[in-house]
Amino acid sequence: MPKRILVIDDEYQITRVLKRSLGAHRYDVRTAADGESGLDLFRDFHPDLVITDLSMPELSGIEVCREIRRVSDIPIIVLSVRGEEQTKVEALDAGADDYVTKPFGMNELLARVRASLRRGPDLDEASSMIEQGDLRMDLSDHSVSIRGKSIRLTPKEFELLAFMAQNHGRVLTHSRLLGKVWGGDHTEQTEYLRVFIGNLRKKIEPTPSRPRYIVTEPWIGYRFIPGS
Amino acid sequence: MGFLRLEKLNRTAKNLLSIAGIILLSAALLPFRQHLNPTEVSLALLLVVLFASSLFGSIAGLIASAIGIVCFNFFFLPPFYTFNITGSENLVAFGAFVVTALIAGQLSGYAKRRAEESEQRQSEIERLYDELKAAFEQASEAEAVRRSEQLKTALLDAVTHDLRTPLTSIKASVTTLLEDAKPAFLDGKSRQEFLEIIDEECDRLNEFIENMVGIAKIEANALSLNRKLTSVEEIVGHAIERARASIGKRSVVVEIQDDLPYIFADAASISEVVFTLLDNAAKYSPAESTIMITARSAADDHVMISVQDQGKGIPAEMRDKIFDKFFQVEEQNIHRTGGGLGLGLAIAKGIVEFHDGSIEVEDGVEGFVTKFVLALPSSDRRKAASPNEEAKA
Repeated sequence: MPKRILVIDDEYQITRVLKRSLGAHRYDVRTAADGESGLDLFRDFHPDLVITDLSMPELSGIEVCREIRRVSDIPIIVLSVRGEEQTKVEALDAGADDYVTKPFGMNELLARVRASLRRGPDLDEASSMIEQGDLRMDLSDHSVSIRGKSIRLTPKEFELLAFMAQNHGRVLTHSRLLGKVWGGDHTEQTEYLRVFIGNLRKKIEPTPSRPRYIVTEPWIGYRFIPGS
Repeated sequence: MGFLRLEKLNRTAKNLLSIAGIILLSAALLPFRQHLNPTEVSLALLLVVLFASSLFGSIAGLIASAIGIVCFNFFFLPPFYTFNITGSENLVAFGAFVVTALIAGQLSGYAKRRAEESEQRQSEIERLYDELKAAFEQASEAEAVRRSEQLKTALLDAVTHDLRTPLTSIKASVTTLLEDAKPAFLDGKSRQEFLEIIDEECDRLNEFIENMVGIAKIEANALSLNRKLTSVEEIVGHAIERARASIGKRSVVVEIQDDLPYIFADAASISEVVFTLLDNAAKYSPAESTIMITARSAADDHVMISVQDQGKGIPAEMRDKIFDKFFQVEEQNIHRTGGGLGLGLAIAKGIVEFHDGSIEVEDGVEGFVTKFVLALPSSDRRKAASPNEEAKA
């Protein structure tokens, strides 16, 4: 059964292209020209993934993310033009999983769509094991191994990596990571995060200067890619 | 200037001048003592006291009074050259002089002090006013800079949006078509649609560039017009044809007055103006609504062309601004209006004004909400009779 994708964009030509192109890749695509009708369609169509523009009349992409997150955990990819970093961060904080900057090639969008659909539901936080690609983490005894090799992490580093691994593939904003690991009062202090990410990279990356597990999303945050 | 110099004297000099004034006057009056009565002398001395107190202040006035009392008594009241006074008349004159000199001296000194204080207050107010004015000027300059920066940012955002949106459709279409080569997964219909999208979006980009060039030409006063006698009917017909895609299912009713005079205009430019009005009317009105175009002759050898729609309307406070370039960028979020860069009406206004005409927006009539009215100079020639036309686009 083809995966269902809902595309919300007020630009007719973009919904037209995405419907044709995603449709040609065997996705079942429905489109909406504004946030309000997008949410109506979301309730009727039950999509597996939502692609939404950020700047739309009446209901913005951020509000769409927020509304969807109230009732569902399905992946959301936001489309935006460059120069909207703040809006992207807001959208990601409002529940979007990923963003693609316009203009984009279809291959890039298709890759993001496949990655988001693979992610599936959130890991059960009660589960004591995280196994993602090269990474194994045991939450009960705080042991970590990468590519089969055991490493030692401080409690905060462990907490940070566990949260990123549980949300692998998703773009996690600075404030979301800070809020989750250090608590609500530290969401502006990105220098904390930079130091801890630097330390984590030294411990888990084969080449810390060219990270492959913890990828930087410039001005936005970080994304954990579990590897093979 | 003399007054100003006196003002600059120090206190001792002022007091000495006051004393000198009394002594000099006494000396001047002394030879005529036999011909003067004490009242006349006292009045003359009082004048000096008044001058001293009003020019140099109450202390100088007081000193002048004291010296005046001494001189009056010593030189002018019998027995002369003593401080004794004989006769009740002289005693009364002396008493009156003493009281008057002291009071008049103090009063005029007080008046001078008040005048000085008032002057000081005045200059203080002027200083504060100047400071306030300078502060306001600085603030308004800062505000102008801030608004200009805001406008630049909004313009940049809008240009980014207007360029990137068609580019996105083109890039997504092209990358899909490129991918299709290895191996093919698109059917003929899909391929055709991607090519159509690329074609339409290229036109959109071209239109965007033409608009930018158009406004630049208008601003540089470099619009070249090929003006000749032109039929309004032809202009309107051409504009409707161009706007057919955006008009969609909307009805377009055209009413052109019988024997409407030709206009002396560049047909392509005026057609562009009518197209802009028509395109806007379609863009901002419901899909099943009606757009009405009327043309009739008006006073002062003008032809009026109006375009009315049944959209949401334009708030009265915005009507003055909608012909400003980048209006949407400045006043509203362009992405939320679904409009372009806000150049269409600015270009339309520029073109119409180059034709010595005018363009205005007002409330619609007979069930219409917004009415744009163009007024263009007409020719003397009359068209051959042409029937009213009604078209459904």
